[in-house]
Amino acid sequence: MAKFLVTRILSMTVTAIAVSVVVMLLVHAVPGNIVQQMLGQLGAGSLEARASLESYFGLNRSLPVQYWDWVSTLLSGSLGTSWNRGIPVEQLVFTAFQVTLQLGLLSLAFATVVGVILGIISSLTKGRWPDTLIQSFNILGLSLPSFWVGAMFLVIASQYFDWGPPIRYRSFAQDPTVNLQIMLLPVLSLGLFNAAAISQFLRELIIGTERQEYVRTAYSKGLSGPHIYVKHIFRNVLIPLVSFIGVISIGVLGGVVAIESVFNLPGVGRLIISALQTRDYPLVQGGVLVLAGVTMLVNLIVDVLYVVIDPRITYS
Amino acid sequence: MIDAGLETTTYRPLTGARAALRRSWRILSTSRDLAIGLVLTALLAMVLLFPGLLAGHPPNDIDPSRALLAPSAQHWFGTDEIGRDVFSRVIWGTRVTLGMVSVALAIPALIGFVLGLVAGFVGGPIDNLVSRTVDLILSFPSMITAVIITGILGPGLRNGVLALCIVYIPMFYRVARSATMTEANLSYVEAARSLGVRDATTMFKHVSRNIVGQLVIQFTVLFPAAIQIAAALGYLGLGVQPPTPDWGAILNQGKNYLFNAPWISVFPGLSIVVAALGLTLLGRGLQNILDPRGR
Repeated sequence: MAKFLVTRILSMTVTAIAVSVVVMLLVHAVPGNIVQQMLGQLGAGSLEARASLESYFGLNRSLPVQYWDWVSTLLSGSLGTSWNRGIPVEQLVFTAFQVTLQLGLLSLAFATVVGVILGIISSLTKGRWPDTLIQSFNILGLSLPSFWVGAMFLVIASQYFDWGPPIRYRSFAQDPTVNLQIMLLPVLSLGLFNAAAISQFLRELIIGTERQEYVRTAYSKGLSGPHIYVKHIFRNVLIPLVSFIGVISIGVLGGVVAIESVFNLPGVGRLIISALQTRDYPLVQGGVLVLAGVTMLVNLIVDVLYVVIDPRITYS
Repeated sequence: MIDAGLETTTYRPLTGARAALRRSWRILSTSRDLAIGLVLTALLAMVLLFPGLLAGHPPNDIDPSRALLAPSAQHWFGTDEIGRDVFSRVIWGTRVTLGMVSVALAIPALIGFVLGLVAGFVGGPIDNLVSRTVDLILSFPSMITAVIITGILGPGLRNGVLALCIVYIPMFYRVARSATMTEANLSYVEAARSLGVRDATTMFKHVSRNIVGQLVIQFTVLFPAAIQIAAALGYLGLGVQPPTPDWGAILNQGKNYLFNAPWISVFPGLSIVVAALGLTLLGRGLQNILDPRGR
């Protein structure tokens, strides 16, 4: 296990480096930088002003030098300073990430609870009306773009219930009731799609497991149905389910970006989009790096969970 | 593909147009998913091919005196802030959105197909290199990859297509690679090799034909998700740009009028749902025919 963790963390580091190089190259490959944007706002800037600003941001140096400069800032334990806002990047990313993380985790929890319950019900009532109903919900749910569902929730809430989420964002620590009111609709709209995905996956999984030989053996030994489901089927369904929820959680992270924009939440998705628009390179690089780190961490957690659930799996 | 599914149940080969029709009918009458999916997809294809027949107004006709009108007999889906007919924009948008997604999936399907075929058949360092790169892309949420690429390269149709290509090459690659690896172990490949057929010929002439069906299915399976990503990009202002009538772009523009003119946002969204639903059902139906276990 220790060896597995070390290899994984090494390969994660390599991936992080690859991601940062690719992002750096892409960002610099496109014409237009922050200096042109700043001068563009002031009208045509003189060549001198441009040169002095470019040297201020270090943009006149070669790419490898700029990259090395960024890496040495990283190694000193900082993500640099945002060019556009003059605030340390780690502070901006950290604040924004709390919003994204809360939204993501709540949506994931909602989707898992609803999806697992629906999946179990539909597999137990296979071919009868509850199953048909749940399967229709699944197919419809998977076709709904969550950002649009969010917008529709806002319209319905205001037109029929005369309600709208509080406008000023408050974190859970600042004001729990306001925070949860703000999170309610985003979590529902993001959770719906993913609940459908989990329910669909679990149904197929349970039905597939029911056909396994050991289940037939268990029945022929005279074990009761509930006993077989709890002790044999659900137990074996758990591992693929956990890995699927891992996949889903990465999808949730992606879905958050559009949802944040619908509900005006100050999360990491909106932070990166605005950084891209202003060509705020340190913020783009830092934000993407943190996102990549979180994604890899989720993958790692899923792999470690396998061992916890199934003692037969060992990593060597 | 449809033939392949039936041959597992009937061993009497049916020939001729009438027999083909009868076969198709039997498949459709047993698979409700496939039937509904086909009908919806066919409807969308009609709208995509002949938008002018349905849309009563040109999609970019501005009439400020008729701005923000609610849906009525004259404007079925209402009008937007500069008096354009939302129904006509949604109808013409079918061509833009679904056309974009089709291209943005066809290109990665082709690239992923060739890469997967070669990597799966040849193996070794080529396989290793491509597979590692693909893992790298897949470890990121597709939506975020797409946002970063369009955000860096700038919004627009071309960059939107490029972003979707980068997101979807890995998914087609994986399917093609694993299908090829299964095929490569079959005896016909060995037979071809012992007859002195060149590997490239075996790969592109024989193996490719046997895995193309799975890629077609993968195409229909990925299509609904790709529509949603394309629409989200448009909504975020990173995809197709106004005034081009794209579903996502209309949603982006409707964002500012969500409460006083919700119809601008309702209908393009519903179109996304219908398109995704049709293709999801079609994909499920096709999968069921090829792999009838498990339902």
